[in-house]
Amino acid sequence: MCGISGVVGQKPVATALFQCIRNLEYRGYDSCGVALINNGGIEVRKNVGTVDEVNALERLTEISGEIGIAHTRWATHGNVSRKNTHPHTSASGNIAVVHNGIIANYRALREQLHGKGYTFHSETDTEVIPHLIEDIMAGGLNLEDAFRRAIRELEGSFAIAVLAFSERDRILCAKKESPLILGIGDSRNFVGSDFNAFIDFTRHAIVLDDGEMAVVTRDGFTVKDFLTGRTIRKSVMEIQWDAEMSKRGGYPHYMLKEIYEQPRTVKNALDLDRKELRRLAQTIDSKKRTYLIGTGTTYYVSLSGQYLFSRYAARFLPVVSSDEFRGLAQSDADTFVLAVSQSGETYDTLSALRYAKDRNAASAAIVNVVGSSIARMVDQVILQGVGPEICVLSTKAAISQILILCLTALELGEFTGHLTSAEVNALRKEIGWLPALLEAILNERSGFIHGIAHRRMSRKNWLYLGRGIYYAIAMESALKMKEVTYLHAEGMPAGFLKHGTISLIDDQMASMIFVPPPRTGELYSLSLSSAEEIKARGGHVLGVHTEGDKEAAEICDESIALPSGPDVVNPFLHLLVGQLFAYFTATGLKRNIDRPRSLAKSVTVA
Amino acid sequence: MKAIILAAGGDSLPPFTSTRPKPMVHLSGHYLLESAIEYLRAAGVIDLVLVVGHRKERIVSYFGNGSEFGVRISYVSQEEDLGIGNALLQAESRINPGEYFLLVYGDVVTTGNIYLETIQGFNSFRAPVAAICLTPESETFGNVYLDNEMRITRLVEKPMKGGLGNYVLAGVFILPHGFFKTLKGAGADMGKALDDLIQKNGLHSSIWEQDWIDVRTPWDILRANRMVMDTWHQAIVSDTAQLKGWIHINGPVHIEEGVKILSGTVIEGPCYLGEGSFVGNNVLIRPYTCIGPHSMIGYGVELKNCVLFSDARVGRLSFIGDSVVGEGVHFGSGTVTVNVNLDGTDVKAAIGGEDVETGMDKVGSFIGDDSLIGAGNTLLAGTVIHNSSIIPHHGTVSREV
Repeated sequence: MCGISGVVGQKPVATALFQCIRNLEYRGYDSCGVALINNGGIEVRKNVGTVDEVNALERLTEISGEIGIAHTRWATHGNVSRKNTHPHTSASGNIAVVHNGIIANYRALREQLHGKGYTFHSETDTEVIPHLIEDIMAGGLNLEDAFRRAIRELEGSFAIAVLAFSERDRILCAKKESPLILGIGDSRNFVGSDFNAFIDFTRHAIVLDDGEMAVVTRDGFTVKDFLTGRTIRKSVMEIQWDAEMSKRGGYPHYMLKEIYEQPRTVKNALDLDRKELRRLAQTIDSKKRTYLIGTGTTYYVSLSGQYLFSRYAARFLPVVSSDEFRGLAQSDADTFVLAVSQSGETYDTLSALRYAKDRNAASAAIVNVVGSSIARMVDQVILQGVGPEICVLSTKAAISQILILCLTALELGEFTGHLTSAEVNALRKEIGWLPALLEAILNERSGFIHGIAHRRMSRKNWLYLGRGIYYAIAMESALKMKEVTYLHAEGMPAGFLKHGTISLIDDQMASMIFVPPPRTGELYSLSLSSAEEIKARGGHVLGVHTEGDKEAAEICDESIALPSGPDVVNPFLHLLVGQLFAYFTATGLKRNIDRPRSLAKSVTVA
Repeated sequence: MKAIILAAGGDSLPPFTSTRPKPMVHLSGHYLLESAIEYLRAAGVIDLVLVVGHRKERIVSYFGNGSEFGVRISYVSQEEDLGIGNALLQAESRINPGEYFLLVYGDVVTTGNIYLETIQGFNSFRAPVAAICLTPESETFGNVYLDNEMRITRLVEKPMKGGLGNYVLAGVFILPHGFFKTLKGAGADMGKALDDLIQKNGLHSSIWEQDWIDVRTPWDILRANRMVMDTWHQAIVSDTAQLKGWIHINGPVHIEEGVKILSGTVIEGPCYLGEGSFVGNNVLIRPYTCIGPHSMIGYGVELKNCVLFSDARVGRLSFIGDSVVGEGVHFGSGTVTVNVNLDGTDVKAAIGGEDVETGMDKVGSFIGDDSLIGAGNTLLAGTVIHNSSIIPHHGTVSREV
């Protein structure tokens, strides 16, 4: 997903244009750029980074000009580089283009234009558009006719905005399958991927439909059908809502939106290139030592990974919290560090990786943000591809990271002969059921979880308990609870309880225990005995267990019963319950869910 | 955007709806419909079509053409109570082809502007939207199935087994004019029409996370009253109110114009005292009490968690708690509404000749309009008294009268 924008007015527009792409940053923020027309021609400034970072480097707001277009990019494939950043210009510099979508036939167009002597500077599909328009204009057509003819040659999806120095009073734009909206202001008009682009400047908008193009000047606009060229009458609508809400796609909070995206996230992880995971597994196998590192949620993600590598690859990979890495880990040329970071900018993880690299260790990272510092620094990057995660609390990114570690463990197991190919395929197939099981919980049980959360939200102290990999899930769930509700929640291995913490239990202490299915034998019975220890001391036990598990239901004061899945997917279901329980407790307590106090999305300080 | 408000419906909330339509039930200082109209106006929706039927004169005479409320109201009638779908179809001619409209169920109580949020959701999707919410009451659980873009994929009114429960429809929709055709095709069955809409056009959801109740039972009035009062943070006392002598007021108490309170009275908020009411000496008014306009509360009365619609007279030394009292009810002195069972079990209310579980351990009485309760009566927990009943002095009343 990318965001495009354009402004045409009477006064300098650079500041407004900057605000527009800043408002679209939720659609992507790995690189951005602007093009404005001033005396010398079209001036393009672009670079890699968030909109604020690029502005600091390139001074986007200080360009003169009364007309401009802009783009903010979120690469899902391919690399993030300055030359791939929009806007793209034609050979003569007369034309600049920003584009959101995919030009399906760009290879053919590229070859054709290449044959005519056009040179391409980027690896993007977009770059064919300025050349194509220029080529058609060379035949004597004006900008509008050339633009219309050019877009008729494009296949795929697009929202495009175009500037030309030769006709510097207008922005041309067109829409097919990607969103595009016009904003009508008093002395200036706007183009944007959605209302958010220009919501700070005008509330009057025109929504373009597929197959429509528009010519926008500072005084007005005309909309045409780009196939027939016929003018279309469009009505101006008034927008009456806050910008934040629509960015959330209608969800009350990004956290809930991102929780609901998890079934799709799982599918994305399953579609990752197995060769890449295999390569990662082989590196683990080839080194004497492999450390899993992360901090905060990614530490617990790594902790889950530790159990998965043990179970599916018979390998013990020590997990180290990034901030403790220097004082603890041994690092040399026979060491491999596998880091997990959503943002790829986590200071503690970056410095641990630097420390390891300085001592000749090999490194890899599971990262969501393309082109981030960590992604650029390590020898191998696994890109999560889950899309931007906006809520400060990590949900969809975390579930995808655990899954990637799980899939890597399977590759390692197969590579080392601990698992057969048939076993690995069977396990991968079982993981394929996970999206449907997550949906079943979201769609059939969230009301039930909400009810318990709201009844119990006055409890100030929580214990989160689990055994085996459920211990890692308990730790992560307790962290979610702390982060978003500001209540005290402490996670620990269930077996650890009786060695001290049990003295805290009284009738005010609430606890949540993650109980695996009965078929897990000792893991199951020991989990239940921990629940009984709490009950015996008057504590309140909320059990998360499998549907139909009567024994667990009887022991626990309250139960959240989950559909029974294969062993490999069950921990993920429990994790979802932990997320929802924290979320609903926080809604009950009216917390600032997407931006809890004192927390930032990526912790870039020591 | 125009709104269609469904305010017909039959006598579904006895004993209070035999004399009024449900949207004219009073709580926390307003009629249900009055709160809805206020929120709609704040959301910029001022063209309202009210579908009225049962006891429609109550609505028409109170709201008129809406000018006093800052809106434009027109009325259509549903002559017979043939359900929601049929009610909605009555308003078809008021919506222009190609337009979207806001559909509002008139018996929903929220603690915030659900209409504004739903309109915002619609502005993001530009497609049909249904507001959905989670309820704390397991008996009202439903299952709205969502995909990850907030489209509703399936509606299940009642989940099959316990332990399940999810979002329910919150009674607020934004629908296209074409929905009337869908509805007719579905034989005016709203559920079926929504299913068709989901299949053919798609229906997005807008999640409402604040509190929400649809008033289905008399005790829901108490729950809704409490829910709204819990959002009050300020005491508001009209400068025309007369507070004489030693009066103790604590917490968010709303005292309207012309209220007169005599010395020795203690009011613990949140509470509401309606316009022109009189409160005598040494009265104790405890939290979640809503006294409707022009009521008279005699010496030494105790009120607690109760809703008195209007024009009530509560004789000296009475206790009214966990109860709902219709308009113009007179209590003789020393009347007591018992609000618990001796064995501590949940109270059952006597409705339509049946004992209905309230799910609550403290419930008093539900008393219809214009009833006269003689002095010295004891009304046992869960008693229902129909309108215009006359209860002789010195008795014990239980069950349904």
